[in-house]
Amino acid sequence: MKQTDVNQSLIRNFSIIAHIDHGKSTLADRFIQLCGGLEAREMQAQVLDNNPIERERGITIKAQAVSLNYKAHDGKIYQLNLIDTPGHVDFSYEVSRSLAACEGALLVVDASQGVEAQSVANCYTALEQKLEVLTVLNKIDLQNAEPDRVAQEIEDIIGIEATDALRISAKTGLGVPEVLEEVVRRLPPPKGDPDAPLQALIVDSWFDNYLGVVSLIRVVNGRIQKGQKIRVISTGKDYEVTILGVHSPKRVIKNSLETGEVGFLVAGIKDIYGAPVGDTLTEASRASVDQLPGFRKVQPRVFAGMFPVDADDFEDFRESLQKLRLNDSALQFEPENSTALGFGFRIGFLGMLHMEIVQERLEREYNLNLITTAPSVVYEIELNGGEIRKIDNPSDLPEPGAYADVREPIILCRLLMPQTYVGAVMQLCMEKRGVQKNLRYHGNQVQLEVEMPLAEVVLDFFDRLKSVSRGFASFEYEFLRFQTAPLVKLDVLVNGDKVDALATIVHRDAAYNRGRDLCERMQEVIHRQMFDVAIQAAIGAKIISRSTVKALRKDVTAKCYGGDVSRKRKLLDKQKEGKKRMKQVGAVEIPQEAFLAVLGVDRRN
Amino acid sequence: MAELATTSLNAVDSASRQVATALPLALYLHFPWCVRKCPYCDFNSHSARGEIDETAYVDALIRDLEFELREPEPRALGSIFMGGGTPSLFSGVAIARVLREVQRRIAFAPEIEITLEANPGTADAQNFREYRAAGVNRLSIGVQSFDDAQLRRLGRIHAGDEAIRAFETARNAGFDNINLDLMFALPQQTIEQALRDVQQAIALAPEHLSYYQLTLEPNTEFAAHPPPLPDDDAAWAIQQQGQALLAEHGYAQYEISAYARAGHECRHNRNYWEFGDYLGIGAGAHSKRTYAGGIDARAHGKRSFGNESRANGTLEIVRRARHKHPRNYLQTAGSVAAIQEERSVSAAELPFEFTMNALRLNEGFQPAAFEIRTGLPIAALEAGLNLARRDGLIETNAQNLRASEFGRAHLNALLRGFM
Repeated sequence: MKQTDVNQSLIRNFSIIAHIDHGKSTLADRFIQLCGGLEAREMQAQVLDNNPIERERGITIKAQAVSLNYKAHDGKIYQLNLIDTPGHVDFSYEVSRSLAACEGALLVVDASQGVEAQSVANCYTALEQKLEVLTVLNKIDLQNAEPDRVAQEIEDIIGIEATDALRISAKTGLGVPEVLEEVVRRLPPPKGDPDAPLQALIVDSWFDNYLGVVSLIRVVNGRIQKGQKIRVISTGKDYEVTILGVHSPKRVIKNSLETGEVGFLVAGIKDIYGAPVGDTLTEASRASVDQLPGFRKVQPRVFAGMFPVDADDFEDFRESLQKLRLNDSALQFEPENSTALGFGFRIGFLGMLHMEIVQERLEREYNLNLITTAPSVVYEIELNGGEIRKIDNPSDLPEPGAYADVREPIILCRLLMPQTYVGAVMQLCMEKRGVQKNLRYHGNQVQLEVEMPLAEVVLDFFDRLKSVSRGFASFEYEFLRFQTAPLVKLDVLVNGDKVDALATIVHRDAAYNRGRDLCERMQEVIHRQMFDVAIQAAIGAKIISRSTVKALRKDVTAKCYGGDVSRKRKLLDKQKEGKKRMKQVGAVEIPQEAFLAVLGVDRRN
Repeated sequence: MAELATTSLNAVDSASRQVATALPLALYLHFPWCVRKCPYCDFNSHSARGEIDETAYVDALIRDLEFELREPEPRALGSIFMGGGTPSLFSGVAIARVLREVQRRIAFAPEIEITLEANPGTADAQNFREYRAAGVNRLSIGVQSFDDAQLRRLGRIHAGDEAIRAFETARNAGFDNINLDLMFALPQQTIEQALRDVQQAIALAPEHLSYYQLTLEPNTEFAAHPPPLPDDDAAWAIQQQGQALLAEHGYAQYEISAYARAGHECRHNRNYWEFGDYLGIGAGAHSKRTYAGGIDARAHGKRSFGNESRANGTLEIVRRARHKHPRNYLQTAGSVAAIQEERSVSAAELPFEFTMNALRLNEGFQPAAFEIRTGLPIAALEAGLNLARRDGLIETNAQNLRASEFGRAHLNALLRGFM
């Protein structure tokens, strides 16, 4: 069928920047609701297109962008493309990726709470990318809302005009229609030449078991059509477009996407490296266009080893990681061989949350049973000969004397908190070897800048920060430099055997306390077994701490007669199942938690 | 051990299935009612509300036995065990009728052992005399403890002195082979209290003692509301000293929880642990029967046996369980509808099923016995045995493979190696 002509001036592409709980999802739902009514009356022809995907069973297409038709007060129907952004410090790179597909952004701030560090950072990213930012104060229906104070705070901290910020309640719907009007009025339409050769940005790609690779794209110049031969610039490979569409939020199949539009694409790309995020698509026949500016290049900062509990799962594990990497360009991995845990991968993450999400996805979606080691940062080692090496695995740190210098990554932390908690937060930062760089008061909010070793943040900083500030402090960080520090490798021995996967690199002054804590925590998480289990912490050859898990006296069923076979089998099956989450190191069964004991993070799952 | 009878390798009709006659056969009869259910008990027992219809239940048992015997059973019974629940809730007349009807349908071996479980709270002199007269030659009394406070906590219907009286009543009725069930590591039990129970039991001079640790079983009241039990170390100390006391008085341990004077080991229970066959009749009862001819002989069968291939294909071991609820059982006994589950044990499961029984015995088992009773070569145990040897859980004594003392304390770890 003939596609409606798309008028570029009637397109608005935008994201919502908001802290968790500040009302992003509620507001998005309101938008869909407001625009959905119109769709039902006036846009039926488009919605009810014969949809080949829907006839197929069991497919999922992630709705990361929703395309809405909005009839504005000027009587025109606008295409509003709302592109989702994640809200956590680990995923700032994804924010920049989503923002690259937009001309504008809504900064949504909870009028009862005020600005928060992550929103500040994301808002800066939007401004750097020359996006028009509209400020929206949400939750003004709450009794403790202070829109005037929060508006002032936004001006102070972010430096954008906020006196005329929209004041709304996404929950009650108050002021929401005005937001849509402002989006139409104040955000610019996409630029771009509809007659130029195709240039489209891959905003995101994911692997669908049925369709293969599905990509979310933004058409920057030209148009993309069903049946067209397209080329992925970085790989030079050509594909034929099989499906194009948008989410309204229902899937709507289209024959083409025009300049400025955002939608999804399926082009028979089976290989998971076929559509790298950040890459550019063009026409196979007119392929002389340039790569669009790539996204901010991100480096993984936190590394951990992951090992399949069952060695036979190694190949499945490799495949799963490859699939995950398709829509997670920050994920890096290379094979690792541990004497304690066997074959696995050393995986690079953006941060702790990223690590948890990856592990959870691998276990839930790919049904893998994994042991994860304590995360480590990357250290820079200067060997005696002057050669510089980077190590991301503590067990790779040479023995003392074999290197001239070891340097750790230092980050700049930007923290925001109410005045009441400044003392507690500063004390925490000092405990974490932080060096205060800047302190600014903005009304009741305080902005603190601290240089801190990344290793300390990886440890338990986030949880501690939330705890000392009752959840009111927020932070974001960026990498600064590598810096010399008196670091030592802390080894753990279980029944006399060094367990490489339990080694950590710690500050010399903290080594004794850390060793003692580690031995205590290991004693708690290692179950009593048939034998005594001796746990020791050591620096080089020197044992600095020890603990013992006492042997279980007995493990035997008191009664067993003729009818007890199946009951007993179930019981032992269950025990055996529990042991699947453990790793046999020598004769000792070590549970998953033990490998994270160094973090003090409770990860029962 | 006698040679295996494998007469009918090509039999395909289940009616003409041949049992492997080399294995001994026992009969278990279940009586599912109790005066009230104890909070620790996970056996199939139900509170008897009002009168039990003895006649109806005995009729059901007989119909059920006839159904089980539709496959010819040339073997004579080495033992009968009437367990529960509380079989002593049934009158002497009813028990006599049960045994009479059983004997009309299946032969008794000359020295047959016939046990009945009795609750001290339901001990009745006339009933006991009638049980004895009916052919019951062994009585098992569920004493659990002689301490009144403990008995109340355990939800028992009797007091300590009643247990002693029940024992005397049994002796007076002519029982010269009596077992007492005794539990240890009871809620808040001290080592002194526990030993007092053992001393009191020894003072009565029973032929047999089942001395076992109270454990919290799933789906019991205690599991839902756990009482404060002695910890691992305290329970271990109680067990060690209790065992020493028993040994001192001539009660030799022959199984994890079983102790007997010379010549008085329980033949019926030994048959379970030696992986013999048994017919299980009554609500929730389990049968195990071994057929010559193996799985291939039953290729027509309704069941699917998976892909496991049997090492020599000469035996098929079938487990069968009756419906547990008495009402359901009463309605269906005598027909296939009474069977809740029937399955053929796969070759992969046999090493575990055999060892979980045989390694409970202090003496262990002879490798040849494993081959004869499972139809598998001893090599099928190799992986598990290697693990057990590495950890010092198993030892060889004369020709027998047996759990070491350490292995008996960690039997679950030992058995996991055979799963």
